[in-house]
Amino acid sequence: MAEVLLKNIKKIYTNTESKAKKRGLFRKNEDQQEEKKINLQITDEGVVAVQEFTLDIKDNEFIVLVGPSGCGKSTTLRMVAGLEEITSGELYIDGQLVNDVEPKDRDIAMVFQSYALYPHMTVYDNMAYSLKIKKVPKDEIDRKVREAAEILDITQYLDRKPKALSGGQRPRVASGRAIVRNPKVLLMDEPLSNLDAKLRNQMRSEIIKLRQRINTTFIYVTHDQIEAMTLGDRIVVMKDGYIQQIGTPQEVFDHPANLFVSGFIGTPQMNYFDARLVKKDGRYFVETDGISVELAEEKQARLKANKVEEQDVVLGVRPEHLSIADKGIEGKVDVSELMGSSCHLHMTVMGKDVIIIVPTEGKTTNYAGKDLHLSFDGNVAHVFSKETEKNLEY
Amino acid sequence: MKKNANAIAKLKLLISRIVVYGILIFLTFLCLFFFYLMFINSSRSNAQLQAGFTMIPGGNAMKNFLNAWNDGSINIPTGMKNSFIVAICSALLTSYFSALTAYGTYVYNFRFKNAVHLFILAIMMIPSQVSTVGFIQLAYKYHLTNKLWLLIIPSIAAPAVYFYMRQYLEATLPLEMVEAARIDGSNEFKIFNQIVLPIMKPAVAVQMIFSFVGSWNNYFMPALLLNDAQKKTVPVMIATLRSADYSKFDMGKVYMLMVMAILPVMVIYTILSKSIIKGVTSGSVKG
Amino acid sequence: MDKSRKKEKKKSISYAKWGYYFIIPFFIVYAIFTLYPQILTIYNSFFEYYRDGLNIIGPRFVGLGNYAKLFETNTAGYVPIVRYTMNTAILWVIGAVPQFLVAMLLALFFTSTRLNIRGQQFFKTVIYMPNLIMASAFSMLFFTMFSQVGPINQLLISWGVVDKAINFLAIKISVRSLIALMNFLMWFGNTTILLMAGIQGIDEALFESARLDGSSSTQVFFHITMPLLMPIFIYVFITSMIGGIQMFDVPQVLTNGKGTPDNTSTTLIMYLNNFLGLSKNYGMAGALSVLLFIMTAILSSFVFKTIRKK
Repeated sequence: MAEVLLKNIKKIYTNTESKAKKRGLFRKNEDQQEEKKINLQITDEGVVAVQEFTLDIKDNEFIVLVGPSGCGKSTTLRMVAGLEEITSGELYIDGQLVNDVEPKDRDIAMVFQSYALYPHMTVYDNMAYSLKIKKVPKDEIDRKVREAAEILDITQYLDRKPKALSGGQRPRVASGRAIVRNPKVLLMDEPLSNLDAKLRNQMRSEIIKLRQRINTTFIYVTHDQIEAMTLGDRIVVMKDGYIQQIGTPQEVFDHPANLFVSGFIGTPQMNYFDARLVKKDGRYFVETDGISVELAEEKQARLKANKVEEQDVVLGVRPEHLSIADKGIEGKVDVSELMGSSCHLHMTVMGKDVIIIVPTEGKTTNYAGKDLHLSFDGNVAHVFSKETEKNLEY
Repeated sequence: MKKNANAIAKLKLLISRIVVYGILIFLTFLCLFFFYLMFINSSRSNAQLQAGFTMIPGGNAMKNFLNAWNDGSINIPTGMKNSFIVAICSALLTSYFSALTAYGTYVYNFRFKNAVHLFILAIMMIPSQVSTVGFIQLAYKYHLTNKLWLLIIPSIAAPAVYFYMRQYLEATLPLEMVEAARIDGSNEFKIFNQIVLPIMKPAVAVQMIFSFVGSWNNYFMPALLLNDAQKKTVPVMIATLRSADYSKFDMGKVYMLMVMAILPVMVIYTILSKSIIKGVTSGSVKG
Repeated sequence: MDKSRKKEKKKSISYAKWGYYFIIPFFIVYAIFTLYPQILTIYNSFFEYYRDGLNIIGPRFVGLGNYAKLFETNTAGYVPIVRYTMNTAILWVIGAVPQFLVAMLLALFFTSTRLNIRGQQFFKTVIYMPNLIMASAFSMLFFTMFSQVGPINQLLISWGVVDKAINFLAIKISVRSLIALMNFLMWFGNTTILLMAGIQGIDEALFESARLDGSSSTQVFFHITMPLLMPIFIYVFITSMIGGIQMFDVPQVLTNGKGTPDNTSTTLIMYLNNFLGLSKNYGMAGALSVLLFIMTAILSSFVFKTIRKK
């Protein structure tokens, strides 16, 4: 229940620290995400993990920080928590500058990736621990713990030790430990990444329910774009320590700010073609492989406002927006995957791998090995600058 | 043909099993024989012992015990009391402070963190005898001989125990646990005592046992430091037994004294042998 | 650097200071009770400083005089430190060689899936037990057992093996053998358990694939087990050597500090102990300690290497 304001936050790991951090923190993530190309800026002072991070999180908002591993999302969260020092910039919680305030005095709670449940305490004691430290009266502790347990449906496990809990119960207990304190801000650091796919789906909806029941500001870190899209009021896409885009899931999906965001959000990934942006009579067209598509009105307006010139561009179209047509971009189907209601076709188009999604509509068609023509509409074509990789609409 | 080969293989295995069990039983015998004899002899009277060798207990155990317990020259009750004080205090201090030190270098990123860790590893190998000369000199200079605490306090700085604790922490304590406790509002000292120490309980227990046994059995330093009969520990008393005029002793009592010296550790070992044996490997090898 | 130092001065959420608080007790105690005495030991080694009756001689600076003295031939016609180093080495070797052979063998037995030894816990418990027994009491026990009126002599006489009691403590070979036997009994269980853990740490699949490749048990041992066990083996071996240098309780109590016969079982630490007896010869004891320290340091550097490698 508080506004969180981050102003030009920067984090530099000095050289000794970054060594220690590599040992401690990064290693955990390494196991899960093999793509680990960290292009963080390295200065004389050390490794810059986060920079120019400015974000105004509103009261009660659910913010998701998303990005590949090493992008600085966890570091940002840990700075909000007070577990990492802020190198420069200002952090306000509820209007109060908290850069140098210890975590316990920030009125925040956090759910960790490993849940960090105290193994020697029962679920009840785990949840009660923070209140006991604050010397809350016993009966009040009891009331609060039972209330939280009720919300999370873990009342029957209160006497158990963490070891005796199943995979689905642990994140609940960890959340319970966080919400008993009624924190101003609830931080969650990849709480679902240790779960299998089925449980993860289930817990995702649990988090949505939890969010409806308690009044607090959420900051949620994940590398999973589906979690980001489904949970966040707004999502913050990060890469290499920089914010790439801030927006509602819809905005980020429909108007990705750059090539990275367009590729990171949405699955299967967006397809890219070499194309040319052409200006005819003040109207913008994209031309590729012999076809020319006029962009939609809204895009026309934005490009015009930006005074975009004719140029070679990267054209991005999402798999679900490419359709089979009589004429258009030529390609050959390599593999056809039937997914149920739709069919994913893996194709080679102009020497590149392209995926399109075709609805099956009840009939089974075997596309494997076929040559197809693809086309798309002017409202779903994204044009990115070849040099800056930015969306030309921005 | 095939059946034959199988039979030969079976026979081979049988023979090697017999040989192996034979070796094991022999070694078991070797390990137990002398202790068995000690227990037997401690239950026999001096006259019986002079008369000859037997493997059957005599009926004199209680009398030997009382003789040993009430002996004028070797005050074994005081010795055992002193030994217990030293061993228990050392065990508590060494395990607590080693865990604390290991936690300090593991969790906190201070400037000399790695240097400190390497330093402790390096001093681990310095034999304790190197400091003995200076230690004894200081003890005499400041009139601290016969002070039991002088045998206890140094156990706070035990590099080997530190090393073990550090290994255990690296294997079992996720840093997130510490951070969770910080966010829960605990201060650093409480985090160690309320969260980390309980997690380290198995390691602490193992080190307490080893430390207890180590100080209970320690002979070199106490022998140099303790010359007041009221302050001597058990090993020192046992050694004086050796230097006394041996032929005049009641041998049944001598055996009983040895039993009393060894028994506490034997009892601990019979109860906790499993975790002790586990503890042997977990600290040293995984380097 | 300057910048970060400035930052630490102001109130901050850095926890680094707690690291210092937590390691301080260790270092204070270490400095007072170990480091300072160590320095004093080294310092003493350059001084003539001992007690003669009620008089205290020194301290008088003699440079390396004490070290030179250590290597002088004594009135009995030998150089003490050379003889005692040899004693220590011999006592260690005749205990350690069988110890390692037996321990290696037992470790292989226990880890062999083919033999599938039952009652492992029992055997391990028994063979490790002597390690925890008070060495001085163990040694005293051997002394009584092997004394001229002790049960072993009684046994030998009753069996007619000998007709007169043997004075085991007067014979060089028997004293050394007894010490080696005690050391063997006290340490082979420990070594077995360590080597076993080492073997169990090797990926089981390697043994299986070697077997499928057609290796015999001996070949598996020499081609797979031994090379992969080497770091641990070296670690255990050198730790045992360092322990050997420090051999004291067993020979001290067995021979009542005399190293009978004729100082052929006197070890280096017994020699040190003699300096610290009534004469309180801090100078000579200091010099001897420094030599011990150098010997151990050389061996330790090997251990340190194997630890650091992993």
